[in-house]
Amino acid sequence: MIKFEHIVKRFNGITALNDISVSIDKGDFFGLLGPNGAGKTTLMNIIVGYLSPDTGKVLFENNVLSQNKLGVRRKIGYVPQEISLYQELSAYQNLKIFGSFFGLSKNELTKNIERALELVQLKERKNDTVKNFSGGMKRRLNIAASILHDPILLLCDEPTVGVDPQSRNAIFDMLQHLNDTGITIIYTTHYMEEAERLCSRMAIIDYGKIISIGTLPDLINLLDKKESVKIKKHPGLQEKLEEISKLGSMFERELQFELLPDSRFTKNSTLFEALESLEIASEYIQLSRASLEDVFLHLTGRSLRD
Amino acid sequence: MNNIINLLKKDFIRFIKDKTAVLLTFAVPAVLIVIFGNIFGGSGNSRGKLPVIFVNESNYSIAAKVEEKLDSSGSLRLVREYWDDGRDTVLAYDTETAKRHIKEGKISTALVIPSDFMSDTSTSIKVQIYYDPKNEIESSIIQGSLQQVIMGSIPELFPQIMNNQINDQIGIEKNKEFQNELADIISETFKVEKDLILNQSDSVSVFNFGSSGENNFINDLIKIENIQLVGQEVKNPGVTRIVGGWAMMFLLFSLTGAATSLFEEKQEGSLKRLLCMPVKRSEIIWSKYIFSIFVGMLQLSVLFLFAWVLFDVDIFSNFLNLMIVILVSAAAAVSFAMIITATTSSLQQANGIATLIIMVMSAIGGSWFPVSFLPDWMQVISKFTLTYWSIEAFLQVLWRDGDIASIALHLGILTTIAVVVNYYAILLFKKGKIF
Repeated sequence: MIKFEHIVKRFNGITALNDISVSIDKGDFFGLLGPNGAGKTTLMNIIVGYLSPDTGKVLFENNVLSQNKLGVRRKIGYVPQEISLYQELSAYQNLKIFGSFFGLSKNELTKNIERALELVQLKERKNDTVKNFSGGMKRRLNIAASILHDPILLLCDEPTVGVDPQSRNAIFDMLQHLNDTGITIIYTTHYMEEAERLCSRMAIIDYGKIISIGTLPDLINLLDKKESVKIKKHPGLQEKLEEISKLGSMFERELQFELLPDSRFTKNSTLFEALESLEIASEYIQLSRASLEDVFLHLTGRSLRD
Repeated sequence: MNNIINLLKKDFIRFIKDKTAVLLTFAVPAVLIVIFGNIFGGSGNSRGKLPVIFVNESNYSIAAKVEEKLDSSGSLRLVREYWDDGRDTVLAYDTETAKRHIKEGKISTALVIPSDFMSDTSTSIKVQIYYDPKNEIESSIIQGSLQQVIMGSIPELFPQIMNNQINDQIGIEKNKEFQNELADIISETFKVEKDLILNQSDSVSVFNFGSSGENNFINDLIKIENIQLVGQEVKNPGVTRIVGGWAMMFLLFSLTGAATSLFEEKQEGSLKRLLCMPVKRSEIIWSKYIFSIFVGMLQLSVLFLFAWVLFDVDIFSNFLNLMIVILVSAAAAVSFAMIITATTSSLQQANGIATLIIMVMSAIGGSWFPVSFLPDWMQVISKFTLTYWSIEAFLQVLWRDGDIASIALHLGILTTIAVVVNYYAILLFKKGKIF
């Protein structure tokens, strides 16, 4: 459905996107996973025509996208990272204004507004002023304003930033439902849990480059071992760190160290034996299934949230 | 104490970083002080001389002396010639042309020394001041200065005028008889030749006025005829004169607010959402432009309606032309607001720069006081402000009841400002920081 070919974008000499090439199929729930400043939003801005690439092109349904091709935007919905709403207007007024740019008939627009309000569970509050909404409600309305024209491609740029867990789940369900109806979704996030939960395929992006791409199992398979060990920080651990680091790749977190064991530990028992030999009590050790976070650590040597 | 010092440091650092605050704190007052200082300051030469048409139709030598004194006046500048477009040449003013130019608003005052300024049999001298009191202060200053100069010139005229008055009262023969008898007495008493005494009576030194109570006497000798050519029928001259100037200043402030709302929309993200929809950048700019013009027209209309309701300013007798001036002024003011928005990078910066420019334009464009008060070089600059042309157009319509031809130049200039500046603003928008 959409294809990026060798996209390069620079700002004041800094390369934000460096030779990005990806192909996304119809019906995909595609995740762009990377830390802040990785280039995710820049890529989104290029798709929606807010920015032009310096070199390379974006093909949408085999047509080259450009800033001047406004017609294509009727097929694309964009959920910006910011709450992009008129705060002093009501939810309904916002939707009516934003929906009016897609050439819908009056009846069609009214019907779509009602449907969108129902989907984001704000029908009862449609006449309330947006500035009086909670953060979660604003985020939901932010999404509603992007789907009024029945887009076939929905771009979600970190749509859950600053949202409480309950609203976040509601947003996930909503997006999942939209994807189930056939809408292709590109979703940027730096929360690996979100990507794991939602995305059928994803690309990991760092410093403007795609460093890996595939399904969740594809990416996990990049790791030598599919589990990681978390060792809680505790007294006496500091002097053992050098020895522990010989067991695999080790990364420091705020409250713990994370160890990605190397390939010689085919069995977890041998790994635990090695740790026990270092006199690390078992209550400080936790074995976890490897996650995207671990993949990112493995590929970049950094945490996603660094 | 340390905390206070640290807090002070914090406030100073933040203040210095806030360029808008610095601009409003220092630049705006400094510029206004320069303007006001030039107008009301100590140096008498700093303020521009007020232009007055001068027509001398008299051949009498004293009239030339009056002209000479007016020429050396520190507050008046005599305008004797004008450019005649029809003949493509410079012509000397005559009374009729002077009156016409005043009515057209090209100049506000003319001093005419008529052919019957004085004669050998005159009992008083006569001058005519034709004026347009479109600005009360300016008008008072010009008339005051003219009278002062004329009064200062007349001691040389007194002997003859008085002699003529005596002739008129008692007859020439009796007056001669009286003067002969008086000369005889003086000649006998002071042992001076009689002829010398008779000749001396023409001299200024014989008359030494200066005591109080001379005014009525002098007024009988000098007939200054003040003839108002424009605005006699205006119901509320005071408000009619100023309403255009103040309306323009507030229009500029409100329209700058309307145009710079693009920054607010950018901050809240709604602008980006629009730009990601099937909406062209130029459509966003044009909609903002049209909206601002509408707001500007509405604001000006409401202000003039207020002036009508509260102060009986006549806005309906020349309503169509007033609306045309409102439309064109609003368009020019919006283009100003758009260029400010296009050339700045934040709301704060836009507001700071706009405040500075609006205050300066209001001061030198005629919103606060007549442009003729400004030094000559500032008067030249004032003609590059849209405020000047708008205020002049409003005066033309409300004060002089001018027709469309009389405001054609003003409308042309304001339209040019609107088109050129807005075109440039759109070019800047396309590559500007706001989008």
